[in-house]
Amino acid sequence: MRYVKLPSGNFEDFFNSLKGIGQIYGPVKEGKTHHFRRVEEAGEMDLKYTRTMLPPKKFFVRPRERLFSLEDGWWRKDGDGKPFVLFGVHSCDVHALKILDRVYLSEPVDPYYAERRKSAFIVGISCLPDELCFCKSLGTHFAMDGFDLFLHELPDGWLVRIGSVRGHEVVWENARLFDEVSDEDIANFKAFEEKRAEAFKRELRSEGLADTLDLAYNSPVWKEYAEKCLACGNCNLVCPTCRCYEVCDRWVDAYRAVRERRYDSCFMESHGLVAGGHNFRPTRLDRFRHRYYCKSYFDPSAGFNCVGCGRCDEFCPAGIEHVKVLDEIRGSLE
Amino acid sequence: MNPYESHPARILEVKDLTPREKLFTLRFLDEELNEEFTFRPGQFVIVDVPGFGEFPISLCSSPTRSPIQLCIRKAGRMTKFIHGMKEGSVVGIRGPYGNGFPMEDMEGSNLILVAGGLGMAPLRSVLWYALDTGKYEHVWLFYGTKAYEDILFRDEILHLLKHGSAMNCTVKLAYEIESPSCIYLEQGFSDRVCRGVVTDLFRGENFDVENSYALICGPPIMYRFVIRELLNRKLSPGRIYMTLERRMRCGVGKCGHCVVGTSVSMKYICQDGPVFTYWDALSTRGLI
Repeated sequence: MRYVKLPSGNFEDFFNSLKGIGQIYGPVKEGKTHHFRRVEEAGEMDLKYTRTMLPPKKFFVRPRERLFSLEDGWWRKDGDGKPFVLFGVHSCDVHALKILDRVYLSEPVDPYYAERRKSAFIVGISCLPDELCFCKSLGTHFAMDGFDLFLHELPDGWLVRIGSVRGHEVVWENARLFDEVSDEDIANFKAFEEKRAEAFKRELRSEGLADTLDLAYNSPVWKEYAEKCLACGNCNLVCPTCRCYEVCDRWVDAYRAVRERRYDSCFMESHGLVAGGHNFRPTRLDRFRHRYYCKSYFDPSAGFNCVGCGRCDEFCPAGIEHVKVLDEIRGSLE
Repeated sequence: MNPYESHPARILEVKDLTPREKLFTLRFLDEELNEEFTFRPGQFVIVDVPGFGEFPISLCSSPTRSPIQLCIRKAGRMTKFIHGMKEGSVVGIRGPYGNGFPMEDMEGSNLILVAGGLGMAPLRSVLWYALDTGKYEHVWLFYGTKAYEDILFRDEILHLLKHGSAMNCTVKLAYEIESPSCIYLEQGFSDRVCRGVVTDLFRGENFDVENSYALICGPPIMYRFVIRELLNRKLSPGRIYMTLERRMRCGVGKCGHCVVGTSVSMKYICQDGPVFTYWDALSTRGLI
């Protein structure tokens, strides 16, 4: 890793220099929540945010996107490859993008996702956890790759970790804005990370989690929570790693049609429905359990499908807490 | 390459199989693709009717023969639409997808094909592949159907009932609803046609379990009974293959509709399947 320092006074210049890459999207506070929005000035952003409502996945797997347009009786591929900057991405969300990469960039590569992934310049930013964050338990509280630049807050600026050749080039081209990292900066960086590590209030017991859940398939706790769950699918929409989509053809007018895909949710009854009306996950219990199994699926090479961002807790209208459910399931087995 | 892009194919022939099922014979417009296109029995394609949508369908022809054939049941909006399409129309095809049956691994062994209803479609691919290549010891086909009118590929099945033994092939048929045609058939082939369920057809058959594979396809309820029958005969769970149905939307492991399993083992039916062994089912919850 290469490290440089961005003094506070140069922050705005640095932000403006990124406009050369493309449109910048950053965390903006609207009402009580934060959202990634198009920003023109550095001041529009609120960098001391905990989590946005929709995660950065919305830039890569769009809530609704056009795959093809019907022209002269056959399909023409749609897509956009304009370069853009995603400013202020937290470590958990960087990890979430890596999970999406594993799905969308594995053979056969999803060309729409790949195009946007290639067009994105990602600037990470350090954060402090709130009472809902449990990324530390899953090892996603610190990103080692998956970004171009990562900014860590220092008392008088930012310690910048450079994670890619493109990140290096941006620093190189704007060398006047950056300083060398001093021993004092390193001490400050270390102190911030230690303070952060201690700030986590919530913990997920992840050891043996996958097996424990599988063994607890018939636990009454599932049923208890499934009754409480409203099956609204909010948790799917805000989850940075949920990526199920549905495809449909839509007629624009009498002559033109488009093929679109949009977010789908495993809480919808139609999710497991096949031709002829047979449903492989007919009850809310089946669907509730499925989501927890999916999030806790453990891939030996890549870890869990959950990054501990706490969005599903914050935006659950029934107040269901992810870690609490898993703890209770574990408890019902012990 | 865009994995979601389908290739235009012309419907060469539409044949009524039953009141609900039609057989579509298709040929790609791109000649080169016709040359290149091959698949394994048990694989499926996604049929694309531009402006209406896509749906997955098993290939029911054998890779040893061309052009490709699809047996489509009128089950919903999309399939109803394609049932109304005429010869000469163009639809899109993408694929083949999925793993298919491991035909090479089974060479030299007996194949026990167990089909229920529409499950005959993917197994027809295996049947013709086995008979065309002649690389298998003996092929049994146990086919459970509702009524005489519902027998898929009836001409072919009747032909094999009569002449199968010359090709090392034994076809047996079980029907549920009695009709004059069925009774006539039963009188002609009393040892191979009976009223009952598909598991009744196992009676009187002895398999060398060390050298046999079972390949099952049918409605979800059928698997339990057929598998029990096979396990009673000491067939290893690793030699029982079944092909499953889920809502395969994308076919390439992205859209998430066909995912089954739990935190220890999750499978995409479209990529890891649709063919699984009974051992896979034992180790992956929700598979059957």
